[in-house]
Amino acid sequence: MRDAYVIGAGQSSFGSFPEETYLSLFESAFESTLNSVEGELPTEAIDEAYLGTLGVGGRQIGLSGPAVTEHVGLHGVPTTRVENACAASGYAFRQAVTAVRSGMVDVALAGGYEVMTDTSADGTKWWLGVSGETEWERISGTTFAGVYAQMASAHLEEYDTTVEDLSRVAVKNHANGAKNPKAHLGFECSLEDAVSAPSIADPLNLYHCCPTTDGASAVLVASEAVAREYGDDLIRVAGAGASSGRVGLFQRGTLTSIPASVRAGGAAYEEAGIGPEDLDFSEVHDCFAIAELLAYEDLGFCERGEAGRLLREGVTGPDGELPANTSGGLKSKGHPIGATGTGQIVEAFEQFRGEAHVQVEEPRYGLTHNVGGSGGGVTVHVFEREEVA
Amino acid sequence: MRGIDAGGIYLPRFRLSTEETAAAWGHADARGIDRKAVPAADEDALTMAVAAAERALSASLDRSAIELVAVATTTPPMVEGDFLSRFVRMLALPEDVAGSVSTQHTAAGGEAFARALDANGPALVVAADCPEGAPADADHPLGAGAAAFVIDEDAAVPIRDIAWHSDETPGIRFRPRGEREVNSLGVTTYERNAVRETVTAAMTALEGDASEATAAALHQRDGKFPYRVDGDLPLSNEAVATGTVVDRIGDAGAATVPIGLLAALAEGDTGGVTVGGFFGGGSAVALELEGGLPVAGIDELDGGEAIDYTTYLRKRGYVVEGEVAGGGANVSLPNWEGSLDQRYRLVAGECPDCGGITFPPRGACQECHSRVEFERVEASRRGTVRALTIIGQGGAPPEFAELQQREGVYAVAIIALEAGGGETTLPAQLADVDPEAVAVGDTVRATIRRIYTQEGVARYGVKFRSEG
Repeated sequence: MRDAYVIGAGQSSFGSFPEETYLSLFESAFESTLNSVEGELPTEAIDEAYLGTLGVGGRQIGLSGPAVTEHVGLHGVPTTRVENACAASGYAFRQAVTAVRSGMVDVALAGGYEVMTDTSADGTKWWLGVSGETEWERISGTTFAGVYAQMASAHLEEYDTTVEDLSRVAVKNHANGAKNPKAHLGFECSLEDAVSAPSIADPLNLYHCCPTTDGASAVLVASEAVAREYGDDLIRVAGAGASSGRVGLFQRGTLTSIPASVRAGGAAYEEAGIGPEDLDFSEVHDCFAIAELLAYEDLGFCERGEAGRLLREGVTGPDGELPANTSGGLKSKGHPIGATGTGQIVEAFEQFRGEAHVQVEEPRYGLTHNVGGSGGGVTVHVFEREEVA
Repeated sequence: MRGIDAGGIYLPRFRLSTEETAAAWGHADARGIDRKAVPAADEDALTMAVAAAERALSASLDRSAIELVAVATTTPPMVEGDFLSRFVRMLALPEDVAGSVSTQHTAAGGEAFARALDANGPALVVAADCPEGAPADADHPLGAGAAAFVIDEDAAVPIRDIAWHSDETPGIRFRPRGEREVNSLGVTTYERNAVRETVTAAMTALEGDASEATAAALHQRDGKFPYRVDGDLPLSNEAVATGTVVDRIGDAGAATVPIGLLAALAEGDTGGVTVGGFFGGGSAVALELEGGLPVAGIDELDGGEAIDYTTYLRKRGYVVEGEVAGGGANVSLPNWEGSLDQRYRLVAGECPDCGGITFPPRGACQECHSRVEFERVEASRRGTVRALTIIGQGGAPPEFAELQQREGVYAVAIIALEAGGGETTLPAQLADVDPEAVAVGDTVRATIRRIYTQEGVARYGVKFRSEG
């Protein structure tokens, strides 16, 4: 099996753009991706495309993938649409990596898109719950926030975690996102704001929940030979882990962990031959504040129950040992469902290039963690910046 | 002799005082009613009937022995549709049980008793009602509640006799097809005389001597009415008071006299005589009972939680619009019906290989992930809250938007239940509880409620009530 490399990554602005379409948003992401490649990559070099979207709002339910690639001029390129809820493009990226590693193609495009803010308030609610377990979880009257709130309640009960710890996720990620011109909610918030916000699904308040966002992102994955042609920075996919879990929280046997994250993380570390202590930064899936805490614990950044401490001590802050979500995360940068997974890789790419808005000093290893639903599907990717010999 | 072997009362959690009604309207048309019981937004005559029946059955024989079900209600959730079949399924009664639903008038409870007395074998009589009227006046006395009776041979409370009397007396209480609100012409003296004469005729036809009776549950549309009904009968005021509950629960339609009967039986001694006098639709049914018995749920007559008038209007749905636009996640009706063992009776699957419990019992074992034939195990109806959230106002999924408009914020928990040799968890709403007052670790008990309505068909399933 040969290695796969990231040679370009870009995204549209994330935000609320009712005048845009999923096609125009992807076009913007695609352009930004091509521009990020060192040198001119002819679009004919792209052999295959994997695009993630949940399809919020309905719109082009069938064949939106080919609609997108044709729209951006990737005429005739085989395109597969991937649906794994919020992990759709994490999985699309995994497909692209697999295609390159297998030798089937030399250059694959992975990406995602979602339009979420042009639907009526009632219509939006229908769509927000569609990735929860439908027959029991949804029918118990929970929204997505509700399911994560249940996890938060269990974590608060079992460990020393406090509501303030949850709010620290918002403070940190907003501080990072405020520096990111492509962030949806690019403003700072105080701990007081984040503690006293109105309740959404107790114990989660407004600042513990990410926004619904419009946006698109894309990543170009290539063989080593191609990567060497386009740039001095070699960003290798060192580890690709993924795992599935029961879609319903109540079916998993634990309320304070996402087991699929543990498995996906373990697989990614093993393949990369490193451990969490080797990481220089991470982009973790913080759709709700509790999700970021669970990610720390599931990915081995700390022991069980210690995630709150990492936040309190600033370990995952921009100047800490292991900065998390320097992009602003889902909380501040935004969460256009299908675009989130590859959007995280855009941040990783920029960190390795030294172009991030909250830059980590010369990172070698970085990790991205993308969760579908409340944990039914997870991808974890470990990237390594290799010195060009 | 056939008679009553067990009884159960169910009253919804909330109470509205007549004072509140009077303050809202400037007067209250509810004489002798101190407060009335108010059903929650997810309750109806069916769920109340099931709740009362669960209580009566818990004190009695194996439910698989029941041969007949006779239900009385003037407010079946659907004027035409599944009632009996749902009732049977929710209680896990035998599929071959015979049954009837008497509706159409407030003497339906008497009709249900007649049916059960005519039958052989153990029978279940249930009266449940939650009538509605024009909020400005007819609604003022209207309450809610349910009573259930297990009828059997050689029973604790023999039913010595039953008698009927019918006379056409229209205009007293009526509701045209397609309308929700009951009407009365309010021709006071005519109505009073008609009820008194009809009930008196039925009572007089009983074999026993009404003057012996130590308790009487008489037709009670308000607190004064039973004392007018007994005007021609040799009953003491004390006896009438013993069987009068309308002052505390309001006019619960077909359920008021049955609840009154249980209130009297709960007080009754061996050898004491209780009479019942149902009236509705021009018919009166009189019952003569002997003795007494403990009644599950009797404490709820004097319990309940006070609400204000605005809350009342919301809970009853008088000020709430239904259907919300949208579409997305969907559980088809056949799929829903296929899961009723889980939604009503909490049937889980025990893995024959590893002993793990899987809920719902479909697909691979949730513990060892093998594809196995599960052993069916019914989970305990008591469980523990393991995780909890409160869905903020306006944040409910569209299926629950109306519920939230009526009930306000609600709690959804993940609940652990013992099942077989292990434990399973499931997500469920908490009912009848202040969401802020629940915590992880609390004990909860299963109840059946209306979950939501899709395409005009109500879907029922399990929710949990807090036991603290």
